[in-house]
Amino acid sequence: MPDLIIDGRPVSVAKGVMVIEAAEALGIMIPRFCWHKALGAAGACRMCAVMFVDGPVRGLEMSCMTPAADGMVVETGHPEAVAFRRRIIELLMANHPHDCPVCDEGGQCLLQDETISGNHALRRYPGRKRTYPDQDLGPFVQHEMNRCIHCYRCARFYQEYCGYRDFGPMQNANRVYFGRFADGALESPFAGNLADLCPTGTLTDKTARYTSRRWDCQRAPSVCPHCGLGCNTVALSRYREVVRIEARENAAVNGSFLCDRGRFSHGYESRPDRPRLAAVDGRPATVAEAVQAAAGRLRAVMDRHGPSGVAVAGSLRSAMETQAGLIALARAAGWPAPAFFRTGKGQAAVRRALARLTPDRALAMAGLSRADAVLVLGVSPLFDAPMLALALRQAARAEAKIFVADPRPVALPFPFVHLPASPRHLAAVLAIAAGPAEAAQTAIQTRLPLSPELWPALTQAAAALSAAKRPALAFAPALAGALPDDARFGLFPVLTDAGAAGAALLSPPDAASLADLAEGVEAGRIRGLLVAEADLDVLSPALAGQLGKLETLVVCDHLPTRTVAAAHVFLPTTTLFESGGTLCTNEGRLQHLASVQPPGEPAARDGGGSHPPRAYDRPLPGTQPRPAATLCAALGDALSLDVPQTPLAALAATLPVLSAVDFAALPAEGLRPDLSALAVPPETPPAFPGGEGLAVVVDHGLFGDDELGRFADRPWTAAPTDPPAILLHIDDAASHELADGDKATVESGESLVTVVVRTSRAMARGVLIAACRPELAGLPPSLGPCGLRRK
Amino acid sequence: MQIDTPQVLFKNRHLGRPATFDEYRAGGGYEALMASVGKRAPDALLQIVLASDLRGRGGAGFPAGRKWQGIPAGYAGPRYVVVNTDEMEPGTFKDRVLVNADPHLVIEGIILCAYAVSATEGICFIRPSYESDAVLLEREAQVARDHGLLGKNILGTDFSFDLHVHRSAGRYICGEATAQIRAISGVRPNPRKGGPRTSVKGLWDCPTIVNNLETLANLPGIIQNGPDWFKSLARSATGAGTKLYSVSGRVARPGCFELPIGATLREIIFEHAGGMQPGRTFKAVLPGGASTAYLPQSLLDLEMDFDPMRKAGQRLGTASLMVFDQDTCLVGATLSLIEFFARESCGWCTPCREGIPYVRELLRRIEGGQGTEDDLAMLRDMIPVLQRAYCAFAPGAAEPVIGLLTHFEDEVRRHIAERRCPFGNPPPAMRGKACGTRPIRFGPTPCPEDQCPI
Repeated sequence: MPDLIIDGRPVSVAKGVMVIEAAEALGIMIPRFCWHKALGAAGACRMCAVMFVDGPVRGLEMSCMTPAADGMVVETGHPEAVAFRRRIIELLMANHPHDCPVCDEGGQCLLQDETISGNHALRRYPGRKRTYPDQDLGPFVQHEMNRCIHCYRCARFYQEYCGYRDFGPMQNANRVYFGRFADGALESPFAGNLADLCPTGTLTDKTARYTSRRWDCQRAPSVCPHCGLGCNTVALSRYREVVRIEARENAAVNGSFLCDRGRFSHGYESRPDRPRLAAVDGRPATVAEAVQAAAGRLRAVMDRHGPSGVAVAGSLRSAMETQAGLIALARAAGWPAPAFFRTGKGQAAVRRALARLTPDRALAMAGLSRADAVLVLGVSPLFDAPMLALALRQAARAEAKIFVADPRPVALPFPFVHLPASPRHLAAVLAIAAGPAEAAQTAIQTRLPLSPELWPALTQAAAALSAAKRPALAFAPALAGALPDDARFGLFPVLTDAGAAGAALLSPPDAASLADLAEGVEAGRIRGLLVAEADLDVLSPALAGQLGKLETLVVCDHLPTRTVAAAHVFLPTTTLFESGGTLCTNEGRLQHLASVQPPGEPAARDGGGSHPPRAYDRPLPGTQPRPAATLCAALGDALSLDVPQTPLAALAATLPVLSAVDFAALPAEGLRPDLSALAVPPETPPAFPGGEGLAVVVDHGLFGDDELGRFADRPWTAAPTDPPAILLHIDDAASHELADGDKATVESGESLVTVVVRTSRAMARGVLIAACRPELAGLPPSLGPCGLRRK
Repeated sequence: MQIDTPQVLFKNRHLGRPATFDEYRAGGGYEALMASVGKRAPDALLQIVLASDLRGRGGAGFPAGRKWQGIPAGYAGPRYVVVNTDEMEPGTFKDRVLVNADPHLVIEGIILCAYAVSATEGICFIRPSYESDAVLLEREAQVARDHGLLGKNILGTDFSFDLHVHRSAGRYICGEATAQIRAISGVRPNPRKGGPRTSVKGLWDCPTIVNNLETLANLPGIIQNGPDWFKSLARSATGAGTKLYSVSGRVARPGCFELPIGATLREIIFEHAGGMQPGRTFKAVLPGGASTAYLPQSLLDLEMDFDPMRKAGQRLGTASLMVFDQDTCLVGATLSLIEFFARESCGWCTPCREGIPYVRELLRRIEGGQGTEDDLAMLRDMIPVLQRAYCAFAPGAAEPVIGLLTHFEDEVRRHIAERRCPFGNPPPAMRGKACGTRPIRFGPTPCPEDQCPI
C-alpha cells in the first residue's frame, strides 16, 4: 500500500496503481487524453505530466506511466508542469479546427475542456493546418479526422480491448490516420463506444448527430433493457425524444462500455405510431374511462365465470414494478397468478439458475473477465448477450481458456474452442467438461459415444477446467439443473430478457405460463385476459391465435403490436425512459432506472416544425400513457380491490430472498441479494428437448430481435423482408435432400412457413437453427420428421 | 592509409571486397566459437562479457552482459537474438562497412551471443537500402552453415542456432529495440515502454536480446583474448574496446575508422580523417549522428566515450561524425535533420508527432528569412517538450536544435536580422508535404565500401 502526497494531501492506494488514479481517489483530475480507466496508460498524449518534487521519482513525469510509490510528493500544479501541459495543448491545437460551435462534440469535449482550463486561447503557431479525408464508417459512428488529436484511445479499444482489426492507425509521423482501409461499416458490435471514448469530435454518435447539445439534454441514469445483462447507461433526451444512449460506468457490470444493440436500439418510445391514446372497442377514450370500462368488463367475466375465468399475461420486458403490480392485482382479485414466461419449464429454469447464485459463486461480468477458464454453454455470446463477449475477450487477453458449447456456428473476437453440441448433449458436455479431467475419457465414451467430433475439444476442456484456479461457467438457464456442485466454479447465468430474473423472483413458482394460458383459452376456461406489455404474436403465437375466443381482452402497452390492435380495451403505458423502474440482471443484481423524460409526443411532431413548437393554451399531446403499475392500481381501485400502493415493496416483503431489500434506496452499483434461499421447483426432465427429430434453436441477430428493439424504427432494426432462413448441418441437409439455397417449408405453429435453407459445417448435428423472426415464433422445440420439407 | 592503432574489427578489411571465410579462418576466425561451444558453459561466456565491460554500440551504451543477464533464470522455451542492423541514423555507416569488410566476424559474434544466452534463432534486422549487405550476410551465413558452424548441432554439439535476415520496410523508428521487435512481428512499430524488458518478453513474447551488430562483432575478440585485453584497447579510463567512427562532411578523407574508444574528436577529424578539405575551416561537428548536438571548435578535445560524453552533457550516439565547415548554414543543416525526424516519427506521442513539425515550420521560416524573435522564443519553448517524449526519438531530434541555439545563436539571429540566409541558401519550400518536402527514395543503394579509400 504505497503512501504518497499529492498536492499536499496524503493518499494510500493499492500497489500498482498509477499516480493519475491515486490523484483521482483524492478528487484531483489530472488532465489526460490517452489514459482511460479501462484501457490503461499509453503515454502518448503527454498531457498528464506532473512534477515529482520528492521521493523515488524526481522531476517532470507522466502520472499515467508512473506507479504510485512510497514517499512520493507530487505537485500537479507545479509551474513547470503547468507550462509543459500548456505547450502540449498548444501542439494539439496547432492542427485542430477552431470550430467548436459547429462540432457535434462541443460542450462534451475533453479537448475543449483542457484547452480552456490550460488557458490556450491564441494560436501563435504560424503554419498551416493538416487536413485529412473522412470515411464513411457505417450508420453509427461519424468520422471527422481533422479533429483527431491522436490519443490512440479508439485504436486501443477497437483492436486491443475488443479484438477487431478493421479499424486502426495507418501511416506515420503527423499523418497518422485512424480509419479503415476503405469506407465501410465498422465490423465491431462495440463500435458505438468509440463515440464515448473519443476525447474530441473525431468519432461521434452518428445517430445523434446535430440533434442536441449535451447541456440541453435531460439526462438520467438508466439500465439497458435489450438483454439480461443490465448494462448501465445514461439516457439523454431532448424535446421528449431519447436522442442518445451512453455507457455509464459500473465496475462490476459493464465497466465503461456498452454494446451497439444497447446503444442504438432506442426509438420505440418515440415512434409516430406508438399507441398513446386509451381506447375502448377501438374508439379513443380517456384513461379514466378506459380503466372503468376494463374494470367493468373484467368484473362481468368474473361474475359469469368466476375469478379463474380471468387470466393475466405479463412479459419479460417489463420493470419489476409492473410485474409486481400485475401479481398484486391478480392476487387481490383472486385471479390466477400472471403468466410471464412462455413455458413453465422456462420459468423453472430461470428460478433454478438464480437459486444457484450464492454470494461466493455468483459472478458479475467483471468477475467473469478475471476467470482463467470459462465454459460457455448454450449461449452464443455475441448475440444472446453481446457484452458477455467483451467480458470473455478480457479473460482471453489474460490468457484464459475459453470453450463455447453451442449448437450454432460461433464467431468471437478472441481465441476459443467451439464445441458444436446439440442442445440434447449440452448437459453431458457440462458434466464431462466440469468433471475431473482423469474421468473425462470414460465419461466421453459412456455419455457421448456418437459425437466423435466433440471428443478432442471435450478432453481439452476437461483438462483446462480442472487445472484452472478460477474456472467459470456461463450458461443458458436450461442447464441450471445440471450445474456441478464443485465450489471452484463461478456461475454466470445468461438470460436474454431484461425482466426474466425479476419475473422469476416475483412470481410464485407455480405460476402459469403463456402456453398454459393458450390451453386455457382454447379449452374455454379463460374468458377474460389482461395483457401487460406483451407482444403475444411473438411470445406465444398459440395464445395470439386464440384471442378471438375471449369475451374481454384488456391490453396495456406502449408498442404498436397486433395484440394492441386486437384489444377490446386499450390502456397506454409509459416506457422505461418515462417511468423508470427496477430491473434485475442475470446475476441477480437489482438496479434502478431513473425516468429521463415525461411521456408526451416528441416536440418535433408537435406544432408542425415551428419553434417554439406548440401553442401554450392546450394540453401537451400524447401524455396519456401511465406507468403500467399505476394502471394496475387504477384497475384495482375500479374493481374496489385492496391493492397495495407500492406493490413491489409489498410483494418483496413477503418473499424471503427480497424481504431485506429497500427498493427505494438501491445503491448506484446495484444490489445483489443472496438468492440461494429461493424456493426451487422440483427437478424436471431437462428443459431441452429429448427424443427424435431436429432440435430447434433460435439464433439471435445483434439488432431488432429483442421485443423493444424490434420496434426501434431504425434502418438497422427494421424487420427483413426476405424469407427467413434456417441453418442446417450440411449432412442433415443432405439427409433431408436439401442443399444450400434451397427453399423449404417448416411447420411453425398452425402454419407452414417458406424458408431458405443454409448449410454449415461449424454447427451441431440434429439441429435446426432458425432466425429469430416472428413468422418462425411458432416452431416447436423439436421438429418431427414431417416438420421440414423441401418445397 | 596507415593506421597505427590496433585493428580488431577491421583486421581483415580489404579494399573493395569482403573477407572470405578462409581469410577469416586464417586470421584466427571461429577459434573463439570452437573454444566455447560444447567446451564452456554459456554462463562462462556471459561472465567474460560482463568482465569485459562491453557496452552497446547502438547509441545508448547499455552494458551488453547486463542486458543478457535480464533473461529470467530457468526460463524454458525459445529465446531469440535480434541483431540490429537498421542503421538509419543519418551520417552512420559503420555497420555497413563492417558487414562488407568481414561478414564472418559478425556471424561468429552473433553465434557466440546466442550460445551465451542459449538462443535458438537469430534475426538480423536490416534496412532495405542495405539489400546488397543482406544478400552478402545470407550468402556467408550459408557458408558458415556448410562448415557446420551455424544451423543444427553446431560443431557436433547439441547447440543449434540459425540466423535469418529480415529486411525492414525502412523506417527510422524500427531501429528502436521494442519497435524493431514489433516490426518483425508484423505489427505497427510503435516503441513500447513500461512492462517487462525485451530480455523477458520480446519477440513473440519470448526472451529476446536486441544488440547492435557492432556490439556483437566485438565478441570473438573478447572471448579469444579475454576481458583485460579488451579493456586495454580503450584510451579512456572508463571505456573498453575499439569503436568504429564514421566520419563524413567537409573533411579531406571521409570514411569509417576503427580507433580506440576514448579517442578525441580532434584526433579523429584532424589526424585520421585528414583534417578539413583544402580551403575550408572547421565550424562544427555532430559527434554521434543526427541525434546529437553540434559541437564547436572549443569542445573538440572531448573523449569519444560513453561516460565522458555524458558528463560533458553530450551524447556519443553512434559515433558518427558529421563535420561542417565555415560556409555551411547550420540553420539549414538543422532544418535538414528536422525534416528527417519529422518524416520518420512513428506518430505515437504528441511532442514527437506534433512538436517536430512545429520546430520544422519555425526553422523553415527562419531559414527562409521570415523568422522573428518570437519564433526563436517558440523554438526555445518547444525544446523541453521534445525532451519529455515517449521514447528517445524526439529528445534526439531536439539535440541539434539545442546545439544550434547554444553555440550558434548568433548565426540564427543573423538570419532574422538580415531577413535571408546569410549563406545565400534559397528559401526552403514552406508548403511541402506534411511529412517532408523531399521524395523518399526507398530500395537498395550501392555500398560506399566499393569506393573505400583504404
